This record gives sequence, structure tokens and C-alpha cells, in this order.
Amino acid sequence: MFCRSCNMSFKAQCISKINILRHITNQTTGVERDPAPVFFNANVQQLLKKLTRVDLRTVFRTKRYGVALKTPEYKFLTAEELNMVMKEAQEKAEQKLQMPPVVKAHVDEPEVLSYDYELQKHSETKFVFTDISFGISDVERTIVVRDLNGVLRKATPDERLRMNETYFPKPGRKIRMPHMFEKEYLKRLLDQGKYEFVLDRACLQFEPDQPIYQDITATTYEAVDTARHYSSLRSTRHFGPFAFHLAWNRCIDNFLLDLIQTDRLDETVALIQLYHIVNPEAESASAKYKPGLEHKFIQAYVESDSKKRSVLELALQANVELHKQRAETEAGIRRAHGHA
Amino acid sequence: MSASVLRLNKVLGKCVYGVRLTKDVLNTSQRVQNMFTTCANVPILTVAICTPISVIVRNTSFFNKLPAEALWKGVTSVSNAGRKRGRGKGIGKKMAKDLNRGQVIGVGKSNIIWPGLTVPVLRGRELVQQQKLPEDPEREKMLIKLRDDMGNFRPLRLSPIERGWSGTKMPGRSIGPPDPVGEETFEGFDTKVLELKSVFNMKGSAGRKRQISAFVVTGNKNGSAGIALGKALEAKAALRKAKNRAGQKMMYLEIFNNHTVYHDFFCQFGKTKIFVTKKPEGFGLVCHRAIKTTCEVIGIKDLYAKVEGPTNLQHIIKAFFIGLLHQKTHQMLADEKKLHVVEFREENDYFPTVVASPATCRTLEEINADEVMDYTQYALGNRVFLKKKRLPPFFTKLPSWENYLKKTQYTRNRDKVKVTLLAEYDEVQSFYTEKYPECVHGYREQTEAD
Repeated sequence: MFCRSCNMSFKAQCISKINILRHITNQTTGVERDPAPVFFNANVQQLLKKLTRVDLRTVFRTKRYGVALKTPEYKFLTAEELNMVMKEAQEKAEQKLQMPPVVKAHVDEPEVLSYDYELQKHSETKFVFTDISFGISDVERTIVVRDLNGVLRKATPDERLRMNETYFPKPGRKIRMPHMFEKEYLKRLLDQGKYEFVLDRACLQFEPDQPIYQDITATTYEAVDTARHYSSLRSTRHFGPFAFHLAWNRCIDNFLLDLIQTDRLDETVALIQLYHIVNPEAESASAKYKPGLEHKFIQAYVESDSKKRSVLELALQANVELHKQRAETEAGIRRAHGHA
Repeated sequence: MSASVLRLNKVLGKCVYGVRLTKDVLNTSQRVQNMFTTCANVPILTVAICTPISVIVRNTSFFNKLPAEALWKGVTSVSNAGRKRGRGKGIGKKMAKDLNRGQVIGVGKSNIIWPGLTVPVLRGRELVQQQKLPEDPEREKMLIKLRDDMGNFRPLRLSPIERGWSGTKMPGRSIGPPDPVGEETFEGFDTKVLELKSVFNMKGSAGRKRQISAFVVTGNKNGSAGIALGKALEAKAALRKAKNRAGQKMMYLEIFNNHTVYHDFFCQFGKTKIFVTKKPEGFGLVCHRAIKTTCEVIGIKDLYAKVEGPTNLQHIIKAFFIGLLHQKTHQMLADEKKLHVVEFREENDYFPTVVASPATCRTLEEINADEVMDYTQYALGNRVFLKKKRLPPFFTKLPSWENYLKKTQYTRNRDKVKVTLLAEYDEVQSFYTEKYPECVHGYREQTEAD
């Protein structure tokens, strides 16, 4: 029974090793930082929410995940009742937009409880003991393993996942990883632009501290960034982690360009602020944002930290021109209306 | 004498195979000779061979008295009594073959060139000579095949798209848009036949008078549709009349989101009652075939309708049209109620979408306690569909049902397991297969002979 799960865990370990290697090459320091404290920072959360750009229609949009549609229901509502249901919907949207946590990948070193070498070769298979009493969460549940060499240890995260899924299955979660997360199929899905589907299913299938989850989400985020399909993740719960991923890996330039080109200066500022919080050692981190001086703040980042300086500068210049023209037109209109 | 001739015959028959018997034959012939005095001058042997082969020829028979047409009719036609019983119709019907088909003068079994008949006389400056070419075996086969194909009855094949409700019958079939009136053309319209039947009328002078009645619906699949009845002596004329009349009787019917009705409704014509239910996209048309065809022409794609009472087709269609015309759009309902009409969809997690708002909205205090606030009930004119509770079938109370359930219990998840296995391994196999490769369906142990 366990040969397959071991196989799976081996695969996951391989991927995690690769992932760690990637991080090491990315980071000049060589030591992996834990993103969780930064991600759960209140300021960061607020900035991420701002970048998500919530549109209720998109939040509640129809996801065609293979379920037959139902006949719509209708109600006669007064204005007050309508306000109330809208408020409820907003609360529900908050819930729906709860971001999947960004945490450090777990390390596979389970705690050993006792060395009972006299039990060596007691059996041909390992024994897993699971506490299935009611009311314990999956994380707190006691699961221990008696190894073949007689060592009694706590279960590894993969073993925990397997046992939890066996005794307390979650709807939609599979014991074995669906094929769609394998490299070739995943690539095909990402080429088709089904980012939200991949991320939704990854959330359902994996735990956030699983290396394979982090690898799949990273691949998806990179695909979105390369294709510049930012709108496909907007107003979903995945946009926050996506923006955080970009800031964490210092590759916000494409996203920044998109924001400047679509004249979203407040979001541009929020993104740069996020970058500064996530990377306090950045050169432009000392720059302070003052309302009304967005261009200056952006300019500081573009000059010292961006990797695509020329393109960003051009876009920023065009945006400055646009704002200048807009101001002139407004002034002209006011003058025409007889205002000073 | 006849006996001896017979004997001669026998002997002749054998003598073909053996020369030894020739003498015997001659002896017999000599004996016979005395009897055939008239043939005295003719050599004996010739007489002996000629006589038995002579055939009595009657030069009259129905083959040469009747024309081919009459002959074929005799073979292929069905008696009046037989026709009344339905014989000689459909598959198995015998039909006359034209044996001249595929035959050309000058072309025959032996492949001969006839200059001036089958080929030109001159080829360049050279005179073409009559010439025998090697025989063409294909020609005979082709002729036989042609004749074989001709004889049997083949029903008219219609493509599944243009086929009607049943066989080659007209109801359900499309007959194109109504004819243009002046410069007005009916572009994008299509007409479908709903009913085509013969009707009778008693005339004072002529007695029973037969006519064909056609009931059709025409529409542009976008809310415009019309129905009409046309009568004529011929089916074709009746259809044309009905089609053109339907073109003149257009009405506009509201369609919700281009796929279904605005709300559930009840409609009635005579005693024919229809209960129509709104359905989501992808549901399809689940209703009487005439309603289905009408919906297709109008442009409705999803709907459930239950007909109660007499199923007179014209009544059904009239009732359905009355129901569609009496629909209230969301805006009309909002204006009537002076309340917002808000849509909640399960697939959108019940997000409230305002589909219609009144000019001035009432407050909670202004709503009467006994007012109907249920959308469906209000749209139905304060009615409620009586949905009878479905009782479990009788056999579920039998002890054998319990047995059946027990016996088949182990198969209860088979379909799901099959799907999962197919998704995982591309084939249905045991979970042991990874460890033991022989654990697959249809495994055969390899023998030494293999």
C-alpha cells in the first residue's frame, strides 16, 4: 500500500529539491527566506487586496467546471432588501477572495519518538497509527509510523496527507495527484490560458506548504506573467499570491508596465510599495510616496531597481504626457465655463 | 414405332461415348429403316439424328401477343384486394426493369468494331476495317449489375437534418421561407410543417369533397413567428397556401436571454392545457414534438412543457402561442409590482443581479401582508403547479427486490471506479498491476510454444 505513496513522496522530494535549487540561484544570500511573515503582514495584505481590483461580477462569475446549470431564481425586493443582499454578497466575496497562504515549503525530517531496535523485522511493512477521534483538525491529528527498523516516528507530511485523505476525504481531492499537474499536461493547460482552473485545483489538491504545490503555482504565475494575461487572474483569490510571487522573485517589471500603460497609477504605486516591503534591501526602498507625486515615486523605482528600464521609462513618459494633456483640457473646459 | 424410336434415342445417347456401339446402332437403324419409307433416299444416319431433335413450335404465346408493358405489369402489379391489404408498398415492392438500359446498337457480347456504326469510317486518311477485338468480360457484369439495381424498391432517402418526425412524412419537415410579397422577402425565415392530413366536406351537389389541410409554423429563430392553416386539393398547394398565410400572420414573442421563456406559465385552448417551465441553458426542449418544432422555429432552446387534456395538434400550438404572448417580461413585472426583480443563480453563488427596476420602488411597509411575493406564483397568476408525488414502483416492495439489491450491491461504484482507472492508467486494471504485471484484464500466461 505504501510503495505508491513513497513513490509519490519521492517525486515530490525531487521537485522540492529542484525548487530549493532554483531559490538558491535566485537569491544572492544563499539562505532561503520564509515568505509567511511578510505575506501575512497587514500592510502587505492590504496592498495585495488593492492590486486584486475586486469586481463583484467577476468574483461571482460562472465557472464551467462540469456541473449542469440550474434554473435561476427570482425575487421581488424593495430597495432596502436589495441593499441588504448586496451587502451580504460583498461579505461573501471577501470570503471567496481569501488568498491561499504563501508559506515556506516543509522539510522532510520527522521527529523520532523512540528507537526500539528490538522490534526490527517485526513485519514486512510499516505500520501507521492514526488518531481518528472526532473534532481534531487535520494538522493537529496524531499520526505516527513504526518503521521496519523498529523506529517509532511522527509521520512525514506526505504520509499525513495520505492518512488524512483516507480517513477524512475532502470532496474533489484525489489520493493520487491528477495527471493534469504533470509537466506536459500542465504546460498544455497553461498554453490554453486555463490559469484559474489550475490554481483552483491545486488549492484543492495540495496543502500550501507542499513543495509540489509551490512548484505548480510558481509555474502558473510565471506563465501568466510571460503571456501578460493579468486580467485572467484579477478578482480571483489567486491574484494576491501572484503579485506577491512577482515581488518576491523581483520580476514585477512586466506587470508594472501593464499597469502604467493602462493608467492605473494607484495600483502601480501599491505594487512598488509591496516590492519595497518584500525587498527592504532594494535601492529605491528609501523613497517615500506622497499623494499626488506618483510619477516621481515610480521614477525612483524605474531608475534604480527595474530590469527593463528603457521600456518602463518610455511608458512612464507617455503617461506623464497623458496626464499633462488631460490637465490642460480640463483647464480649458473650466475656462470655457467661466471659472478662473 | 414410338417404342423403337425411344430405344434408338437411348442407343444414340450412349454411342457418343463409345465407337464400339456404332455397328449396333447401324443394325438398329436398318431395322427402323423399313418403317420410314418416305425417307428412303436419305442416308440412314442423318435420319436417325434429325428426328428426335425436332421441336414442336407454337408461334403464339403471351410473350409475343402482349406488349412489354403489359407483361411487366402482370409480374409487378398487385391486385386491388391486395392493395387494400397494403401489399405492393414500401420495401419488397416489385418494379419493372428496363432491359434496354445500358445496351447500345453495335455493341454486344463479341467486341467487334463496326465502322460507320460504332466508330467513324475514316481515321485520318485511313479507312477503318471491321475488326474483332478481345472480349470484354466487364461489360456483361456491368449489365447484370445495372439490372439487379433496377428491380428493387428503394425508399426515398432524406438526410437526418431534413427528415421530419417520422419516415418520409411531411410533419416536422422544413419547407423554406414564405414566398416574397412584392419586394419584401422573408430572409432568415423557415417554415415547418406541423400537420398534413386529408379532410372531407359534404357538398350539396358533389357529395363528399376531399381536401388536404396543412398546418405550418414559420419563424426567424429570433422571436418572430406565425402559424396558419392552408387547404387545397393537392398537398403541395395546401403547403404553399399555409406557408404564405403564416408569413402574413407574424407575431413577436419574447424570449429570455435568447434561449428560454421569461417565467413558468400555464396556457389553455379549449380543454388542451399546457404547463410550461423555464429551464437553464443546455437543458434542451423536453415537450410535445409539435411544441419542440415550434420552439425551434421561434428560437427557444430550453424549455419543459407538459400537455394535459386532448392532444389536438392545432389546439396545442394555439394554446402555446397564447401562453407565449401572455408572458410578462421582467420589466413589466417590476412595473406591476413596483419592486426590483432580482436574479439569483446557483452557478454564480447566488449573487444578486438586478434584472429590472421600477420607476419608483415601494418600501416594506407598503407591501400588503397577503400579497403574493413568490415570483413564479405571481407570474402564473397566483396559481401553483400541482406536482404529484411520485410513488416508488410496486416491485420495490417485493422480497425479490431486496435480493436484487443485495446481489448487485458490490457493483454500486463500478462505473466511478472505471472512470477513475481510465483517467489514471488509460485502461481498466487492478491496483495490484504495478506490483504484479499479470494483474490485467485478459492476461494469458506465456507458454513455451509462444
